[in-house]
Amino acid sequence: MEKHRLAGVALSCAIALFSWPALAQGSIVMPRVVSQVTPSLPEGVTPKDADVILAVSLDVAGAVIDVAVLQSGGVDFDKAAMGAVHKWTFSPALRDGVPFAAKIRVPVHFVAAAAPVAPPDTPPPAPSGAPKAPPAASAPPDGAGNKPSPEKPSPGGAAGDKPSPDKAPPGAAAGDKPSPDKAPPGEPGAAPKPPGPVDVSVAGRRPPAWRGAGEFHVDIGALKLVPQQNAAHLLQLAPSIFLTNDGGEGHAERVYLRGFDAREGQDVELSVGGVPVNESGNLHGAGFAELHFVIPELVQSLRVLEGPFDPRQGNYAVAGSADYELGLQDRGVTLKYTYGTFNTHRAVALWGPAGESARTFGGVELQTSDGFGQNRASKAASAMGQYEGHISETGTYRILATAYANDYGSAGLLRADDVAAGRKGFYDTYDFGQGGSGSRFSLSADVDGRAGDVTFYQQVFLVQRGMRLRENFTGFLLDAQTAIQEPHGQRGDLIDLAVDETTFGARGNATLRGEILGQKQELTVGYFARGDRASDTRARIAAAGDVPYKTDADYQATLGDIGLYADANLRFTSWLSVRGGARADLLTYDVLDRCAVKDVSLPSETDPPGDKSCLDQQRFGVHREPYQRTTTTGIRAMPRGSLLVGPFRGFTLSLSAGTGVRSMDLRYVTQDATAQFASVDAYEGGVSFTRDFGPLKLAARTILFGTHVDRDLVFSESEGRNVIGGGTTRVGWIGQARATGDFFDTNVALTLTKSSYDDTGLLVPYVPDAVLRWDGALFHELPFEVLGRHPRGTAAFGVSYVGQRALPYGQRSDTILDVDASLTVGYRNFDLGVSATNLFDSTYKQAEYNFVSDWHGSGAPTLVPARHFAAGPPRQILFSLSANFGGNKP
Amino acid sequence: MNKLFALASLLLALAACTGSTGGDLVSFDAAAAGPADAVAGQPYTFQTSRGYAVTLTRARIHVGAVYLNRSRPSSVASDTSCQLSGIYVAEVTQGLDIDILSPALQPFPAQGFATTEHASTAEVWLLGGSDVNEPNDPTVILDLAGTAEKEGQSYPFEGQVTIGQNRVIPAPPSTPGANPICKQRIVSPIPVDLTATEGDSLVLRIDPRGLFSNVEISNAEKAGDDPPLYRLRDDGDDAPSRALYSGLRASVGTYAVTWE
Repeated sequence: MEKHRLAGVALSCAIALFSWPALAQGSIVMPRVVSQVTPSLPEGVTPKDADVILAVSLDVAGAVIDVAVLQSGGVDFDKAAMGAVHKWTFSPALRDGVPFAAKIRVPVHFVAAAAPVAPPDTPPPAPSGAPKAPPAASAPPDGAGNKPSPEKPSPGGAAGDKPSPDKAPPGAAAGDKPSPDKAPPGEPGAAPKPPGPVDVSVAGRRPPAWRGAGEFHVDIGALKLVPQQNAAHLLQLAPSIFLTNDGGEGHAERVYLRGFDAREGQDVELSVGGVPVNESGNLHGAGFAELHFVIPELVQSLRVLEGPFDPRQGNYAVAGSADYELGLQDRGVTLKYTYGTFNTHRAVALWGPAGESARTFGGVELQTSDGFGQNRASKAASAMGQYEGHISETGTYRILATAYANDYGSAGLLRADDVAAGRKGFYDTYDFGQGGSGSRFSLSADVDGRAGDVTFYQQVFLVQRGMRLRENFTGFLLDAQTAIQEPHGQRGDLIDLAVDETTFGARGNATLRGEILGQKQELTVGYFARGDRASDTRARIAAAGDVPYKTDADYQATLGDIGLYADANLRFTSWLSVRGGARADLLTYDVLDRCAVKDVSLPSETDPPGDKSCLDQQRFGVHREPYQRTTTTGIRAMPRGSLLVGPFRGFTLSLSAGTGVRSMDLRYVTQDATAQFASVDAYEGGVSFTRDFGPLKLAARTILFGTHVDRDLVFSESEGRNVIGGGTTRVGWIGQARATGDFFDTNVALTLTKSSYDDTGLLVPYVPDAVLRWDGALFHELPFEVLGRHPRGTAAFGVSYVGQRALPYGQRSDTILDVDASLTVGYRNFDLGVSATNLFDSTYKQAEYNFVSDWHGSGAPTLVPARHFAAGPPRQILFSLSANFGGNKP
Repeated sequence: MNKLFALASLLLALAACTGSTGGDLVSFDAAAAGPADAVAGQPYTFQTSRGYAVTLTRARIHVGAVYLNRSRPSSVASDTSCQLSGIYVAEVTQGLDIDILSPALQPFPAQGFATTEHASTAEVWLLGGSDVNEPNDPTVILDLAGTAEKEGQSYPFEGQVTIGQNRVIPAPPSTPGANPICKQRIVSPIPVDLTATEGDSLVLRIDPRGLFSNVEISNAEKAGDDPPLYRLRDDGDDAPSRALYSGLRASVGTYAVTWE
């Protein structure tokens, strides 16, 4: 292939891009080339001088999603230039520190000469729309400050176009801090190419305005190389989030965030591509959210907002919210197979048609594993497909379909005293009946566009969810004898929960933009509406015979949530802005309890109910139907706002406050009573820092926060879920830093939290005081060639430290220190990797509890709280081989 | 501003790892004994409210478990559950045969566990097996022998008590679970006023006087004439046997639980 390389190809713009400093234009930072590939002319094409100008669309991660020819240099040269630029990577454009999709112009100049040209060491051109060619260097991307048209590239700078609020303002100080960086050695030389103007415009959806230090736009980027068990674990790239899983491979992760034990999402609003994941009708917990249907390779970024500070955040945004942005950077077809410890197999096929945006993709994942220890085998399959198209020059639409199914075993919890006494092994289980299965199918469509000064967005979604969950926390403890029942002993506490839920809904908003006081102002109004039809049954299963002997609950519910919000982004000066507004949600409940009567003190003597669970009689045998319907409605207004001051030399001060809610469980619905919400009041102050130092991009922030919840959740082992408790208060601090360079990406975050009950001042149990997460990745070509090409190499690691968690009865859990690592080598279309989770094979307890259980050990039943734990997974080593065809792998 | 944040962060870091959820979990040794005024190896003599001078030469009780509970039930008459609705704060779950004629502390075979919460109620489980709901349990819970004297008459006696089918109380057909066997095996609620602390030992003292408070021994079944022997039956068919069984299950007078 080397012989086909055009020795004299000049990548004029690329070289300059490497030396292009961050174009800090007010709150806009321009994209910058991170890596590049030299264009190769097809065999037989005679090299010559040629200029090709490309319009390159970048997504929020800086990935190239589209390349179009603005000025042709000939078919072969156009193809060569497009093919190469498709493989480049850029740092994302930033607005107020938040990445956004952009289009830039990239001129490529081909020369016939073969001699390499020394890389430039001169500064890039002057800003203010009067760019100058760097001497003896290729052209940089065009300087901002022209008047590009909105939403699309503007060839030649499109002088005279109307300025867009989405773009760098005219006359912005682009390039006022030139970088002495040089192009990488060995780059082909170039003849000088006068730079044209760059066109940076929002080419796609505009994310909501940044809410201050508590909002994290987590660009997965190279940190995707860090081993993650599943897509849920990507959340841990955001500070203060810590996940555990004591329910099995297919069970939703338990989320800890800012001192909240949010269980399986009850206190965190989760969405994927805007489609809500929280399940309002799930009896395991209102807001239960399982993210395993997401194929990790298709996650492009996360918007994590810790705290309820954005009016767009709805129900369950008590501790915060997270939205997964989907996309596929590697175009073409990618096949990946993974095999490793515990007989784990995973096969993934991904495809993204070249020429389509990164948000057009398809993917399927199949996996199976025996799991570690006893009763942890799992099987799962997921398929996701999305298409993004254009409905006009300014509008796009997306259609997303997902399908997922799983089946898994669960070891549940073990008593520490049984393990210490040798009665149980560390990875054993008491009850082999534990586990679950589930399915999730969803379809969504959305559209965005602009009409005049108004942008609009509209989405509809439909989700069908099925779940079965079998858990036993207490062994043989809860089967109390009632008078109407035949005498019995403890038959077993295995819970068998089945949920069948259909969610349908829509969300939309419109944003009006204008200019007042010489500043851009925005006003957004929007809505969110969802309806849920759910059917939940929960039975107890006898250990002997594996048959249900009792119905705990049998609900059928229709739930509604309609919210309206208004959000303003008011800029008083270039350094002072206020963002926020208010939201109000109306939640409705219509719950049919199909097992409303479970006991009667004076039953009919002629027709005694016996062991029936759902009775149809009252005292003295008077007939009644076994069901009861309850309806109620509640409405809650939630003001939210942020004050931002800055940036000053990269520093921005933010102060935020807001109110959020969590709706109640089905079982708490009471007829004619006002619906009870758990309400959270949150506030935070933070300082953020974002700045580029040549190729090094540094972002850091420090945050102090506090929250108060009037009705917090407390884990109940007898229910196997969280139940309503008292009021709690949390205070904490977060420190986070991320550094990104040409060959590395690292992110570190530390969170310290104190959570206590309002009435007693005692600590809230199960919440870690300290969470440290450090991820890092190195990626570069290896320093040797194989058949004329440099193999690619990557190394990545993730370190988690979780401090002692407070446990009931004054106890503290063990600390957790977990290290994961991966290595990959890539050559041409292939990548070979090995990854290890729990690299040092530490034996640790990922979850610990103190509660009462009795597992029929020797002697009388155990009725006093004791330590229980869920074993953390031992070391797992996985080998993977992936191949990409027809894509952008060099 | 940065200094302010740094200072606040430092203070928070110091505060974050402090505090408690309250209480503690402790393990403890447990033991049982007869009355403190008994003499090891000697018969134990006492006066009953029925006017008998009882001299016990053999008295052993099997205790399957001891529990302390935070709550004091207001009524247990209609409660069909074996366990109290309150929170248990201490337990000794390994059984022990106790010589209640000895004042010496006889240790339970395994340690007990407790939270440091206040206890208002104690339970003594007269349980031979591991399942309190098992209808059949041949374990001899009480085994005693001795002589009772009243008005110059001497009544040598012996008796054994088991708690199984022989103690089942029939229930109405409409409420077949109204009288579970577990309720026969659990002596509750024994009033206590205790709070465990680390290093304490739980002591269960069993007073034979409580067993005989209402036993009219002279009415017991006569098992032999030469020498004379009265037998306290194990089926509760006669009044003396029922009285002995009631004494065995009395929540006041027979059992005392202390932390020492």
